[in-house]
Amino acid sequence: MTSKLSFLTGISLKRKIKTKWFVLANLLIAAVIIAGLNIDTIIKAFGGDFNKKTELYVIDNTNVAYDLFKSSMESANKNSQLADKQETTETTESKFQIKKYKKSEKEARKELEKKEDAILLIFHQTDSSILEANLITKDYISTSNYQLLNTALNNTKSILALEQSNISSEELAKLSEPIKIKREFLDKDKSEKGENNEHIMGFIFPVIILPFFMLTLFLVQMIGAEVNDEKTTRGMEIIISNVSPKTHFFSKVLAGNLFVLIQGALLFLYSGLGLFLRILLGGDKLGGVTSEIGSMVGDVLKGGIGDKLIYIIPLTLILMLLTFIAYSLLAGILASMTTNIEDFQQLQTPIIIISLVGYYLAMMSTSFSGSLFIRIFAYVPLISAILAPSLLMLGQIGIIDILIAIILVIITNIVLVKYGLKIYKVGILNYSSKGLWKKMFKALRD
Amino acid sequence: MLEVKHVTKYYGDFLAVDDLSFSVAPGEIFGLLGVNGAGKTTTFRMIMGLLDVTKGSITLDGKPIDYSVTDQIGFLTEERSLLTKLTVKEQAIFYGRLKGMTESQILKRLDELLEKFGIQEYKEKKIKELSKGNQQKIQFITAILNKPKLLILDEPFSGLDPFNVELFKQEITEMSKEGSMIIFSSHRMEHVELFCKKLVIIMHGKTVLGGNLNDIKEQFRKKNIFVKGDITKEELLKIKGVLEVVEHASEYEVKIDSIEVAEDVFKEVCKHKHIMKFAVEEPSLNEIFISKVGESYDK
Repeated sequence: MTSKLSFLTGISLKRKIKTKWFVLANLLIAAVIIAGLNIDTIIKAFGGDFNKKTELYVIDNTNVAYDLFKSSMESANKNSQLADKQETTETTESKFQIKKYKKSEKEARKELEKKEDAILLIFHQTDSSILEANLITKDYISTSNYQLLNTALNNTKSILALEQSNISSEELAKLSEPIKIKREFLDKDKSEKGENNEHIMGFIFPVIILPFFMLTLFLVQMIGAEVNDEKTTRGMEIIISNVSPKTHFFSKVLAGNLFVLIQGALLFLYSGLGLFLRILLGGDKLGGVTSEIGSMVGDVLKGGIGDKLIYIIPLTLILMLLTFIAYSLLAGILASMTTNIEDFQQLQTPIIIISLVGYYLAMMSTSFSGSLFIRIFAYVPLISAILAPSLLMLGQIGIIDILIAIILVIITNIVLVKYGLKIYKVGILNYSSKGLWKKMFKALRD
Repeated sequence: MLEVKHVTKYYGDFLAVDDLSFSVAPGEIFGLLGVNGAGKTTTFRMIMGLLDVTKGSITLDGKPIDYSVTDQIGFLTEERSLLTKLTVKEQAIFYGRLKGMTESQILKRLDELLEKFGIQEYKEKKIKELSKGNQQKIQFITAILNKPKLLILDEPFSGLDPFNVELFKQEITEMSKEGSMIIFSSHRMEHVELFCKKLVIIMHGKTVLGGNLNDIKEQFRKKNIFVKGDITKEELLKIKGVLEVVEHASEYEVKIDSIEVAEDVFKEVCKHKHIMKFAVEEPSLNEIFISKVGESYDK
């Protein structure tokens, strides 16, 4: 039995991997991953000045607003970058080159005709207003630039108003400086960095579990296609007359899981190659993906998750492997019941939906911290592999919870093997959809 | 020896095979005949262990057929059971390995058989690229790769031209001489008649006729007389016991209800001066089959 099991497993795996489509699909996946990780370098390779700053000319008819506006712009630009970068501490230079225009407005307008991206701001005061501004451009400007200018102008106006209120320069400085927030936690295990990690992991984890979701799809489709191919060509009769349905079933499950492990390792390899290429090309100097990942990983490790990873990674891997087995068992059982690949494609939809539910719940887990609903789903087999590690990473559940999730998947797998085999044995030699459910229930009772 | 003893199979309330019994000894070629839906494929599936029997037993050399003996069995299904995306060589290796053969044994035997059937050039071709007839040859080859002790052939001649039918017959006869037990079904009675010494005709899962072919023919009272001469159809029809006279190109086929009538026909024929042929022949298996199946339908 063992030799026939290993032979059938090997031949299933070979039939999937030794095809030009597998090679082609992997070449495409590798190209997309590697290109994605080096997208800024690729864009740069096609030309263009990406460090070019927007020229901002200011005509200050008030004679007092320019300096205040310039410092407000720097401050607003810094705040904007912090928000964009998910609160990382890294900042880059201002995207504006601010110049005080000393010639006439007419000449400034002429210059604007020649420079499409340039912006002209004219400050003036009226009896009814401390500061008014004309914003002149040749073309539309981006929403973010508009918001940035608006914030800086409002700040400038506020400071001008305070200055006119005869407040001393020390008091003015105190009013202008940002508020210091001292964060305290009643729970001694919690820290500000840990709090930041929640936000970071809420961003990182969906990216990490996306390959799991993709591999689940590959697994389900592979097993379904194989079983259906053997059924529709009636090769199944010859196979089952030589090996037991149990051996055949396990060979499909084993081959499917080996396939996703190989495919998973290849995805990992492509990502590694992409990052390596990025380092070789000096992409990090540009900032972007790797530097952000590096910064995030650094923050995560500083936040104390590094210690947790020692058990989070193996527990997640065990849970994922067991869940892959559950999905493959389910796919095998469903495929045995169908009589053609179209039927299987319809039957696999609920499996994909289950997997999607887990994926979306994992993404929502940071927004609904402490939700009992999400916590319950973290125990549900087929979903737990995606959801439970996310919650564990965010500190919303503990090791005990993930162990419970593992035990529940093991029980599910045992039930699927015990009862699923009965359905599989009848299903694989059933070529008619007439009275299908009756046949399957009868198989379960026998 | 293959022994099928009082086997009954129900699908829910539907009786597919009813108390079927027969045996096949080494070197024997056994025919399982019946119209579509008679229970032939169900019987084959039960022998192969693909279906459980409801009642009765099936044994090979006194032991129940399980996965410990399937390596000694060859099975050709009625419908094509080839994985069409594989090449002929890959398909042979796949099925051969399932029979416990090594790859080198499979390839050696495959080359032998491909040469015998004159299709060596298809070894590296995909099954789906082959014609229906050549696919049937490949299916037959994969069924006999392991030189099976028991060979089950469900409609082996379907899709074959007369030349290839002859090739199959030669191979089947050769295997029978080497001691293989061969059991097969066919709609073509002339094939069964040429091969089988023993047969069973089943109808709605029930045996309507079974035993040694010669005994069956002898027991079948209706005979045919072929007459060629100056006698007329009307004269023949007047004889008591003559059921029907069929006019062929240059002779008459006289169907009589028992062998005793042949003497009366002979006496009548002797009254004429120019008689070139008078032959009493056994009925064909086709006639017996139609007669028995017709009776069964009537019942």
